[in-house]
Amino acid sequence: MEISRDAYRAIEDIVGPEFVTDDPALLDSYAFQYLAELIRPEHSHFMPRPWAVVMPRTTKEVQAVTRLANKYKIKIKPISTGWYHWAAPLKDNEPTLQLDLRRMNRILDFDEKNRFAVVEPYVICAQLQAEVMKHGLNINITGAGSSCSIVASACAYFGAGPSSFSMGNNSDNLLGQEWVTPAGEIVRTGSVSSGAGWFCSEGPGPSVRGITRGYLGSRGGLGTYTKCAIKLADWPGPASLEVKGRPPGYRLPVPENFRVYTIGAPDWDSFAECYYGIYDNTLGYIFHRQFNLAGADLATALWLTYIDPTKTLNDVETAAADPEIKAINEKARISFQLILAAHSSDGIELQDKILDEILTATGCYKVERYCDKDMAEFTNMYLQRMGHKHCNFIWAGGYMGSWMQAGKPDWVKTYVPTAIETFKNDQDSGLLVQCGGDALMGCGSTLAGGGYYGFEQFVSYDPADIKSVKACVKHMEDAVVTCREKGIPYGKEYLYLQVAWPDEAVWNALARAPQTFVFDFQRKIKEAFDPNGLGDRNYPWLPEGWGKSAASAQKE
Amino acid sequence: MSIEDFRADAMRCSRCAYCKWMPLDLMKSWRFSKGCPSIEYGNFHSYSAGGRLITALSLMDGRSTVTDKVRDTVFMCNMCGSCDVSCKICRYDMEPLQAMRELRVKLVEEGHLPAALAKCVESLKTNHNMLGAPKERRGDWAKTLGIKDLSREKAKVVFHAGCRYSFDGEQSGVARTAVAILKKAGVDFGIFGATESCCGGRSYGMGLNDPVKHCAETNLAKWHAAGVETVVTPCADCYYAFKRLYPQVAGSQIKVLHMVELVEQLVRDGQLKLTKPVTMKVTYHDPCHLGRQGEDYVPWNGKEKKIFGQAVCYDPPRPRYNGAFGVYEAPRSLLQSIPGVELVEMERNREAAWCCGAGGGAREAYPKFSQWTAGERIEEAEATGADALVSACPWCEKNFSDSVRHGGHKLKVFDILQLVEQAL
Amino acid sequence: MVANITELTTIIAEDRFLDDPPLLKSFAQDASLVAPLRPRYVTRPETVEQVQALVQWAMRTKTPLVPVSSKGPHRYGDTVPSVAEAVIVDLTGMNAIKRIDRRNRIAVIEPGVTYAELIPALAGEGLKISHPLQPRANKSVVASLLERQPTLIPRLNYSLPEPLRNCGVVWGTGEVAFTGEAGNGPLSLDEQWTRGQSQLAAWGPNATDLMRLVTGAQGTMGIVVWASVKLDLLPVVRKVFTIAAADIAQVTDCVYKLTKVGLGDEVFVLNRARLSQMVEAQAGRRAALAAALPEWTLVVGLSGAALLPQQRLAVQEKELRALAQEFSLTVGEGYPGVSRTDLTAMLDGFCRPDERAHQDIFFLSTLDKVAGHVASVQSVALRYGYPVADMEIYVQPQHQGVSHHVEFRLPYDAADARQAAMMEVVYHTASDKLIEEGAYFSRPYGYWSELVYGRDRNSAEILRTVKGILDPENILNPGKLCF
Repeated sequence: MEISRDAYRAIEDIVGPEFVTDDPALLDSYAFQYLAELIRPEHSHFMPRPWAVVMPRTTKEVQAVTRLANKYKIKIKPISTGWYHWAAPLKDNEPTLQLDLRRMNRILDFDEKNRFAVVEPYVICAQLQAEVMKHGLNINITGAGSSCSIVASACAYFGAGPSSFSMGNNSDNLLGQEWVTPAGEIVRTGSVSSGAGWFCSEGPGPSVRGITRGYLGSRGGLGTYTKCAIKLADWPGPASLEVKGRPPGYRLPVPENFRVYTIGAPDWDSFAECYYGIYDNTLGYIFHRQFNLAGADLATALWLTYIDPTKTLNDVETAAADPEIKAINEKARISFQLILAAHSSDGIELQDKILDEILTATGCYKVERYCDKDMAEFTNMYLQRMGHKHCNFIWAGGYMGSWMQAGKPDWVKTYVPTAIETFKNDQDSGLLVQCGGDALMGCGSTLAGGGYYGFEQFVSYDPADIKSVKACVKHMEDAVVTCREKGIPYGKEYLYLQVAWPDEAVWNALARAPQTFVFDFQRKIKEAFDPNGLGDRNYPWLPEGWGKSAASAQKE
Repeated sequence: MSIEDFRADAMRCSRCAYCKWMPLDLMKSWRFSKGCPSIEYGNFHSYSAGGRLITALSLMDGRSTVTDKVRDTVFMCNMCGSCDVSCKICRYDMEPLQAMRELRVKLVEEGHLPAALAKCVESLKTNHNMLGAPKERRGDWAKTLGIKDLSREKAKVVFHAGCRYSFDGEQSGVARTAVAILKKAGVDFGIFGATESCCGGRSYGMGLNDPVKHCAETNLAKWHAAGVETVVTPCADCYYAFKRLYPQVAGSQIKVLHMVELVEQLVRDGQLKLTKPVTMKVTYHDPCHLGRQGEDYVPWNGKEKKIFGQAVCYDPPRPRYNGAFGVYEAPRSLLQSIPGVELVEMERNREAAWCCGAGGGAREAYPKFSQWTAGERIEEAEATGADALVSACPWCEKNFSDSVRHGGHKLKVFDILQLVEQAL
Repeated sequence: MVANITELTTIIAEDRFLDDPPLLKSFAQDASLVAPLRPRYVTRPETVEQVQALVQWAMRTKTPLVPVSSKGPHRYGDTVPSVAEAVIVDLTGMNAIKRIDRRNRIAVIEPGVTYAELIPALAGEGLKISHPLQPRANKSVVASLLERQPTLIPRLNYSLPEPLRNCGVVWGTGEVAFTGEAGNGPLSLDEQWTRGQSQLAAWGPNATDLMRLVTGAQGTMGIVVWASVKLDLLPVVRKVFTIAAADIAQVTDCVYKLTKVGLGDEVFVLNRARLSQMVEAQAGRRAALAAALPEWTLVVGLSGAALLPQQRLAVQEKELRALAQEFSLTVGEGYPGVSRTDLTAMLDGFCRPDERAHQDIFFLSTLDKVAGHVASVQSVALRYGYPVADMEIYVQPQHQGVSHHVEFRLPYDAADARQAAMMEVVYHTASDKLIEEGAYFSRPYGYWSELVYGRDRNSAEILRTVKGILDPENILNPGKLCF
């Protein structure tokens, strides 16, 4: 399918001919997306191909291209650093312009005293963190890692990470933002809309951000976010990360006012009690269950191999059979990482004492080998910069995160055994990486201050092996069925699978939601801000007349 | 190998885009955070390693064809390997740099070699150099130096000047300096002078297989005939060709040393004394082929195997080549042993170094891109406050010198041997 | 047209529709400069179903509803009807504390629950809520949070609406739907609790943040019938410190650093008139006390809860003293006439009934601009003859110190026509000047709504669109904000 020459010429006039292409091979580099093979016909790695890729440089250019898209009735799909299959066009044969925002890559403002930075969509977390650390500040790096766009996590997608326990979710760190609606209007929200600067996200009066900055955001389904201001957090560490060692396991020395621990628990009840202890005592600059992404059976073998630059995955097999490593692994089986930070030696010593009391009271413990200098420095590096996040893919190149239902700790621990059992059973085929049923990973909290989190099951599969791909899909379906049977809300896998569904199937699913009010609201918002339907289902809605009654009819 | 052998790499690409950045852990600023010159200049995803893997998959699956734009995305790249380092931070099952080269091979085989590169290859065939210079002039730089001619004599060490130092009058002084140092250190060595032949390494990077094989066989034969056990070169490209490619394409077992390794060893052993102060603040640029691509060759002819059901590894274990063990410390140690030299690091150094822009045929085929790449590095060097940018590769120096000249920069550009010479 | 209430009386008893003149008059005017207008009825629903029926009836009959959750005196004109024949929906009777979950530190309350009711109930469970500075004892917690009143502990103010998390809302469409995490579950709190849900996460449901649309809305989008609020542990040890300054700029960097590192619980700045007003019960003694106080006081409350509370307090105190020293400031524990007990009472107490009328000018800004704002308001006061020494100023860091609530309280004699006229001019002129210099009137009551939305037509247009969706008949507090 081709974009009309008139439309193409007009886009060239807006952004310059070198910043638009409709070359099929170049378009394919946007159609190829993470997770596509799980949901596309014949397990193709390609999502539908956009009809052109456009690279605007300014908000005005985004606006002009959007208006043009309205004129020619072409869908728009912005992408910053993003991956996921929903970052590509969702439907075949639907004219779509992919807006690649990588030229919008500037840090526009940094206000040290008032602790915020204004950034464009292609500024990544690592860049901003490096800049603000020079001034004793930090940012909450999203769980997707420091290669990801700040604007995406703050405005358009999920924004929690290991530091959210202390620094908050980026949806709460969002201050002013700039949004080009699908209709082509430039909207600024919060204080910036009043011309008062970027420091506040709310108001005037009700907060306009509320129409898109929900749980997941609009994920490119309702216009383009072109700027945002992000609240910065305190950084009690050095002005620059003085990284040591060779790749891949770089190490970050632990300053005297920091502690880096891996905490083990004898069982999930103790884990929850320990969590509540940490939560009540407001400990934790970073709180995350990271290393278990490799699976509880193999995690120690993998990470001790990884930090040795002379070794490869082959060595994990040997390590996994080593009785000493097996023993460490058992200690770390139910574990998480905790980084403490303070501004004084008294402060850090007190935190240590409090942590020790919590551990004594709950039967939890520090996993010694993980707290040794090498692993502690590696842990510090991993979690402070989040530059190893794509170890998610380390086993076989494919990772799909299932489960991830968030809630209070007492509730999360109730679904953990089910998540483990379901995954373990699906590994028996040998078509998924057999790393143990517990490959549950997650932030200590997705909310600032703690008390709320979820575990994502790291399902590793080989995207180059269709049997493995199918096994992953089967696991997704098994997880959905298990959740349905056990009365557990659906996890991430359900959202992933929906990408392939026809509209009616998605609407049927939405109509069965306990409350459908929001989907009607979103339809009306879409009608108001996207009259020509340029956005996609990533900003979901229910057509008029669906909803409760339709849902009942469907069930019958 | 062929691009088909990298189909799985393409399918396993997570599209994380690490390949576009320097290793994230090492990032120190917004300004100098990028790793890949190609994506920074070309912008579309296809200009990244991940994008090229997708292009390969798309072409292999018949979803698209090679257009001029596609050719540009494949060849407008320095093949510097920054992507390879960053990708392998999290992956053991990806070889993006190798895959990108095999994609070039495919395009070359299908007749899409850019014209400027075709000229270089033709020159290699006819004049045994990549510069289009008459082969007779190759030994001119050494004519008056009285060096042993290994086409007639024998020595255990051959000094291989390489094309740039042999033909570029502005640069050949470095070759003369190198031999002066070798002489001063009492090394028994010789050269091939006019009969020296190109290493062929650059043609390999351009996506050709045969020329480097031919060069390897020719050079190895000459070296063996002259009793050579060690080849020493001041050129990082040659070093890479001899060290990494010759064993691969021609089974070479000859010892390979870059001049910095040799000189640093001589200084450390006390055979060379650096006594004269060289009062200068310098920053060192790691040439890609000496640094992250300068790791030892490890023969491997294995196949993929799976452990734990689906975890991908190799039987026997596959060499890693992730830049962990490149030649980084020898040049730094050498610079620090020069009295008066203050060494300051650029933000992107060692395995994270930004490329000079001369590699992969970019200098020849995409000169604007090549010069832009160099200009970025000049700015990074200037940001350190250094007086001079020092490297250990004539291609880097050439690109940097051109950029300094065109950009009106005050920064001086030196080969590391020029500073050693001043200190002797 | 007089609204016909008979069809409602099967749901809400007729005697809960009140129209006795003194009552109507009490809702016709508040302490603000907003023009008075009597409502037609005051109704006092007791259940969600009644509120829903009321809204549906109002939709049918096009009757304006003005939700009110606090008992008076009201201050900002938001509960004064802007259109005739409105019905006041008095929610003060819906005052159940439905749940206090100590373990997860969350409470669910109805809109009529006041701070005076909630604070001791929480204390009984070992919990506390970060609340505004000396709220009215009868102030609705829910209304206070919905209107984004500033709270005292910036460290816990992770976002401006904190500690508000989820709401149950009867929308202007007549539908009931929950906001946030609760919006994903069944439309019944009991059922959600049975399933282990806690109404903790504020975002959502789905791509929308419905809570953000009812906050700052002055009841124009929906009627909130319950809300969940985030709690913290009740300290077992506490100390309150004062840092004196002749000029607010002297403590600015100290406040920045305190909020940056998250040291302290309560952190705010008062001028001498405000401090004196808050700690001195005897009106006649306040002027003398104020004169003896430093021009500005930074108040810092420290506390210890959970494990090792005494040691926590000791470490914090040491860190506070070191931090103050960085800025050449001295940490004290009050002043002559302002004891430690006075300070603690100030943090925990409720405001006294107003002895004088006052107009409040408040907005959000960044701390570096506050000294300029103070100078501006003082210059306006001087120009129109308002006594600058009477001006009470309160600066409250919000959102962990990224934004600051700045409040000028201007007491005056409302019965004196000359003073009343002067106050109107000062109020309007100062507001005009402040907005020109970047003050952000994020809660645009009364006169400010014209100022704010007149300059920000984009927001106004979008909010009208949203209002058109959530309150299609424009029955909820019409005439407020940009509606």
